[in-house]
Amino acid sequence: MLTATPTTLAGAVGAGRAFGAVVTQPSNLQLLLQGLWVTIKLAAFSLILALALGVVFGVLRTVPLRPLRAAGTAYVEFFRNTPLLVQMYYWYFGLPVLAGVTLPGFQAAFLALGIYTGAFVAEVVRAGILAVSPGHLEAARSLGLSYLQTVRHVVLPQAFATTVPPLGNLAIAMTKNTSVASAIAVQDVMYNGNLLNSRTFATYEVFASVGLAYLSLTVPLSVLVNRLERRLTRFRR
Amino acid sequence: MDQAAFVATVCGRLPAVCRSMETLFDPRRWAAFTELSVWQNTVLVGLRATLSMAAIAMVVSLVAGLALALLRVSPFAALRYPVGLLVETIRSLPVILLIFFSSLFLPRVGLAQDPFVAATAALAVYTAAVNAEIMRAGITAIERGQIEAARSLGMTYAQTMRHVILPQALQRVVPPQVSQLITLLKDTSLAAVVGVNELTRKMQILYQFERPPNPLQALFVAACIYFILNYSLSRLSRRWELGVGGAIDLH
Repeated sequence: MLTATPTTLAGAVGAGRAFGAVVTQPSNLQLLLQGLWVTIKLAAFSLILALALGVVFGVLRTVPLRPLRAAGTAYVEFFRNTPLLVQMYYWYFGLPVLAGVTLPGFQAAFLALGIYTGAFVAEVVRAGILAVSPGHLEAARSLGLSYLQTVRHVVLPQAFATTVPPLGNLAIAMTKNTSVASAIAVQDVMYNGNLLNSRTFATYEVFASVGLAYLSLTVPLSVLVNRLERRLTRFRR
Repeated sequence: MDQAAFVATVCGRLPAVCRSMETLFDPRRWAAFTELSVWQNTVLVGLRATLSMAAIAMVVSLVAGLALALLRVSPFAALRYPVGLLVETIRSLPVILLIFFSSLFLPRVGLAQDPFVAATAALAVYTAAVNAEIMRAGITAIERGQIEAARSLGMTYAQTMRHVILPQALQRVVPPQVSQLITLLKDTSLAAVVGVNELTRKMQILYQFERPPNPLQALFVAACIYFILNYSLSRLSRRWELGVGGAIDLH
């Protein structure tokens, strides 16, 4: 089934424009850069929320009290195993219709991304805590440290070293996941790219630019994570 | 934007967000889900599309991922580096970008008008790149001594791969592959934004026409279905892991 007509093919190559002619136009470039700034802000804010939630629930999953552990497990398993888009719709479309609480797109996306990623962070934090050998805990407790002091001064500093590389990978994945916010009309770089594409039909160069914008965030992050990982493992050996 | 003001507005809305959870238990808004026709025409139809997207994308991406992984560990640098660059680039892009692009690109070159095909293709390409990385890690984790032993026994490179390395590597990558399948199942929901009638979009259509509107309920049901699928997959994977661990201990 060949449906390409001369006009659509012309559209595909940008109607005779040189590749790059659309995105290098100042107003279009500005639109994409504004979107990139929103993406960066969303990623940064949500990462803070995710880390906060992740540390709290990760520690909860290791405490010696069963109800608290169960609460941690429920949070982690539910939010980790449901799609981010459904969670975003839940905050964005669900709340205003029923409760008259209007969350602007950015705040809904911030909550959804933070809570979703927090569940993954909690798993990493828990694994990091469990990797600390029980002998250290016993030693700290028998030296007279309280449970909280042990967590604060013995467990968390050691857990930090084992959790940094996986946390870096989560930060990268979350940066990519901010693009889902474009589905609830957050004007991030994905949303503005779609907008620009529907105005100009310069699909290839617009999507190449949006892709480059994401690569410009994820590639430096992954270089950083690799370097950190190498440094941390060198200390351990 | 003023960070403090942002935090203040978000925190200010949180009590109202919590209060609104009461409407989740409003029986009138649950009425739709007591009807069999809703389950048949909305939930099951959407679920079938979701599952077939995930199944097709997984099968394609497993085969493609294995091929890409073999190219990435090949002895020829001319194959290794371009494939590595391709895999790393695709892996670093958001899935939704690939879905948008493929739903615009495929119809333009006259390949597929159906958003289902475009979204499945995008999911397969992305997952193939991730699978390639998982399998490459599995292959390189096999001790060098085994390769050397096989080669010195007179096996060719292909025979070594086929009979010595792959059987072990593929067994080791089952747990990460299952978690990738879970990610894929969740990512199929992104196809809703290009108009594929899978579970998430079917539920959206449902709550937009219900009176009184029930988005919290419909999305909650959708979330629960995804949860049941993914949670049982992760349980199965954990059991498999324990089983293989036990088998290794017997040696």
